[in-house]
Amino acid sequence: MDHLIQLILDGLFVGSFYALVALGYSMVYGIIKLLNFAHGDIYMLGAFAGFTVLSVGAGALGGGFLALIVIMALAMVGTGAFGVVLERVAYRPLRNAPRLSVLITAVGASFALEYGIAVTFGPNPQVYPIGVSGGALGIAGARITYAQLAMMAIAVVLMVALDALVRKTRAGRAMRAISLDPKACLLMGVNVDRVISRTFFLGSALAGAAGVMAGAYYGKIDFLMGFVIGLKAFTAAVIGGIGNLRGAVLGAIVLGLLESFGVAFLGSQWRDVFAFGFLILFLTVRPTGLLGERVTERV
Amino acid sequence: MTFRRVAVAATAMVLGLGLTACGGNLSQGGSADTGKGDIKLGMLTPLTGSSAAIGPHMKDGAQLAVDEINAKGGINGRQLSLTVSDEACDPKTAAAGAAKLVSDGVAISVGGYCSSATLPTLSIFNKANIPMIIPAANSADLVAQKLPNVFLLNGTGIQQAEAASKFVKAQGSSAVALLDDNTSYSTDITKRTDQNLRQLGVTVATHQSVTAGESDYSGAVNAVLGSHADLVYWTGYYQEGGLLIKQLKAAGYQGKIMVADGSVDEKLIQIAGQDNAQGVLATMTQTPQTIPGGQEWIKKYQDKFGTAPGSYSTQAYDAVRVAAEAIKSAGYTDGQAVMKALGQINGFSIFSGPLKFTPEHTLSEGGFDILVIRGSSFALNK
Amino acid sequence: MNDDSSAYVRAVEERAPANVALAGKGVGSPKPRRAGLPVALSGLLSSKWLGLVVAVLALALPYLNSSTYIIQIGTDALIFVMLAVGLNIVVGFCGLLDLGYAAFFAIGAYASGVLSTKCGWPMIATLPVVVAASVAGGLIIGGPTLRLRSDYLAIVTLGFGEIIRITANNLDFTGGPNGLYGIPDFGDFGLRSDVAVYWVTAAVVCVAVLFSSRLGRGRIGRAWRFVRDDEDAAEAMGIHTYKVKFAAYIAGAVFGGVAGMLFAAHQTAISPPSFNFLWSALILMAVVLGGMGSTPGVVIGALAISLLPELLRGAQNWRYLIFGLLLIVIMVFRPQGLLPARAGEPKRRRRGGVA
Repeated sequence: MDHLIQLILDGLFVGSFYALVALGYSMVYGIIKLLNFAHGDIYMLGAFAGFTVLSVGAGALGGGFLALIVIMALAMVGTGAFGVVLERVAYRPLRNAPRLSVLITAVGASFALEYGIAVTFGPNPQVYPIGVSGGALGIAGARITYAQLAMMAIAVVLMVALDALVRKTRAGRAMRAISLDPKACLLMGVNVDRVISRTFFLGSALAGAAGVMAGAYYGKIDFLMGFVIGLKAFTAAVIGGIGNLRGAVLGAIVLGLLESFGVAFLGSQWRDVFAFGFLILFLTVRPTGLLGERVTERV
Repeated sequence: MTFRRVAVAATAMVLGLGLTACGGNLSQGGSADTGKGDIKLGMLTPLTGSSAAIGPHMKDGAQLAVDEINAKGGINGRQLSLTVSDEACDPKTAAAGAAKLVSDGVAISVGGYCSSATLPTLSIFNKANIPMIIPAANSADLVAQKLPNVFLLNGTGIQQAEAASKFVKAQGSSAVALLDDNTSYSTDITKRTDQNLRQLGVTVATHQSVTAGESDYSGAVNAVLGSHADLVYWTGYYQEGGLLIKQLKAAGYQGKIMVADGSVDEKLIQIAGQDNAQGVLATMTQTPQTIPGGQEWIKKYQDKFGTAPGSYSTQAYDAVRVAAEAIKSAGYTDGQAVMKALGQINGFSIFSGPLKFTPEHTLSEGGFDILVIRGSSFALNK
Repeated sequence: MNDDSSAYVRAVEERAPANVALAGKGVGSPKPRRAGLPVALSGLLSSKWLGLVVAVLALALPYLNSSTYIIQIGTDALIFVMLAVGLNIVVGFCGLLDLGYAAFFAIGAYASGVLSTKCGWPMIATLPVVVAASVAGGLIIGGPTLRLRSDYLAIVTLGFGEIIRITANNLDFTGGPNGLYGIPDFGDFGLRSDVAVYWVTAAVVCVAVLFSSRLGRGRIGRAWRFVRDDEDAAEAMGIHTYKVKFAAYIAGAVFGGVAGMLFAAHQTAISPPSFNFLWSALILMAVVLGGMGSTPGVVIGALAISLLPELLRGAQNWRYLIFGLLLIVIMVFRPQGLLPARAGEPKRRRRGGVA
């Protein structure tokens, strides 16, 4: 029984990482129907941005939790800005081009990011100069470390903030409006370009935050770390219903739990096969996802 | 239709060319050593890709041996020269690199790091009648085809698994967890250790494979904790090894941890955190740091290249020396003669001890030691 | 997202022989192209004689230089051409983005590898199984996803590529992480064995290139381009888009599988790292660089991508960085590729048969 609770806790923990990345995927897709393939690499970029800040100013910041928050904020601004630039340079010129062109561009952006980092920092993994450690908490025989709890708390705070932003503010209303009908928004005087930029900023900043958290928690970062998590985040977004923000979080938690249990029964080496197999199965059975509404391809 | 006429014409042309060329060099092997000038040694080693850090260590080690032999007048009056080609730890790149070395006319290959990248090069060298003294790659699959030209200079998984099992038995562990990273090198060792331990009567509590390159190993960690193992043997590389040690400790694991030679790197201690890594054991071939007289060699290496020797510098150094020894005793560089000479070497001194090849062309003695992490480095475990 | 009103109009125009040209264009927005060197070049590239010259050169390579190295990288390059031409059917002709194309390459390589090493089949006898396995793979993955939006296909194929690679890595009969070794070749015909493999490969690849090029010009090829340019209009004109897309996907799968078989015979040892995502991405790069839908362009793109790194041995990470940037630059500035398909279809012969 204690084993069961441990599996649930592990699943929730991994799921919260997936959720932060999946949110950005889902948000961008919801608004401009673009599958931002490079999104996982922005997570990686966040981890390296944090790493750079730490290497330069580790002394000034000291160690510990507060330093982590500061670094995370800096990395979020950095990756957010990068997301805006990426949209401007690579995606905006192609907004009216066939979907295939944009997808290929996104693959190119992903490649350029990964190997740009590989060339800059070298292909070997880097060790994060600070780590979060500390004691652990026992819950009914299962263990969860304080570091894990802190990470999950940060993730929840970020998600709640995003949800409030999208549902309660004027900017959020503009985002929702554009996802419904971009042309009508344009006619109503909404600055569509600016809202799209803002969406990219938010999505990329969340991914960047997740990257820093992963770096600090696991302690090791490398230039390919975004590849698998990008795939998993997409899977989560599809499970939840792509374009639906609460769905993305739900999908991420479902995926985290599924993987946790899948690994327990099949062994770690089958984890990715299990996750992607589930994606294919899900697309066959319920392509709109758990919370997604029917999407018809508009002509 | 024009197309058909064109196709017929093309076929005829090619057939014609084919007939005229029979007996040309299309039916013979690659370019062989000419018997004059430098004796060329070829080395495939990763200079790019995931294992790019290893390449320079191997190259410098081999170069040191080449320079030493040349300074003493070479072999049979001929000087040695080293040609290095990238294998990138990728089978296709390695095969192309091997073909390049064959075309360059190397007499002996003294390279090979990644087992899966070395496998496709075996038949290329074999067809060209070129002996291979493989310094690093050590999967048992390399010698499974029983090709006459393949010799392994590194202790194999078999020997490492033996050393590990003996040590585990001597420790009196009651239940062992085996963890590998699902690469050829790593699973080879865990599978063999598994067999050995069962024969020795030690319980293998769980056997898990993780995916290299990931960060979260909670699945494997849970399995280890759930199995109540008191010793974990990790046979993968240091990146994942460091994370595993850290996550095992964070999850409250109290037992011993042992790693295989792929994890013997100071980065392991950095990733795991120095506190977590204290007392972690390792199975490792003998290194200059741990053998008498080794310090001198390290100094020579450092003076020449400005860096300390790294993983497999010693094996690469030995590979060149063994190659030279075999050519010397064969008298010339013909592939068959050198292979025969290699098979007959007995007691030639290399870092892992006196050299003798088994009938399978592996080392008769692997020379594995047990190391332990003290402070920020590995030391011999008494 | 598309300019909606014109879709049907274009669909009607498509039927008029005078405007068939529209379908032959690259994926880019249909703006008039300036005449110039590229057009002249692509005109030259569409010439049948050029194809012939390249084919003869490929077949005659061993007479020009038969060093082991040249034969080795020549065979690699030809296999890569086959892969690129196969992916061109899926991406270039039909507009479906497949990011896991290496999966079919792996299926073909492993099917022939397992049968020849574990069951002792001669290499050539494994061909029907290779084709059947590739088709089965295409059915499993294409069945559920080709009905969905095209972007889902991209990620699902990517996941599929990973599934195949990890499965091959985890199973025992595929040799696990070390893969299979000691795979036989097609027989040496009294020649040096690598030259024999080279010639078999060259012959198969020449036929494959020709086949794909003619497939693209035929009735099904027109249907593919129609679906690519406007799926809804194609559907409205009575094309069963699902079936047509399926045909493209399966054709691509078979090309990939056969290329895998050639690869297994050529390398003699195959292992999972050879079939990772980088491979899929490199093949896609060859197709995009050369010009999606243009067979000569794709062949040249593939030769360039395959041979350049051999010329620049060592600069691997830079290579991928440049590839990534190139993908963006090409899509933004020159979506039809460097050597696009000729704007029009070839002039019809009297009876309108295939040219």
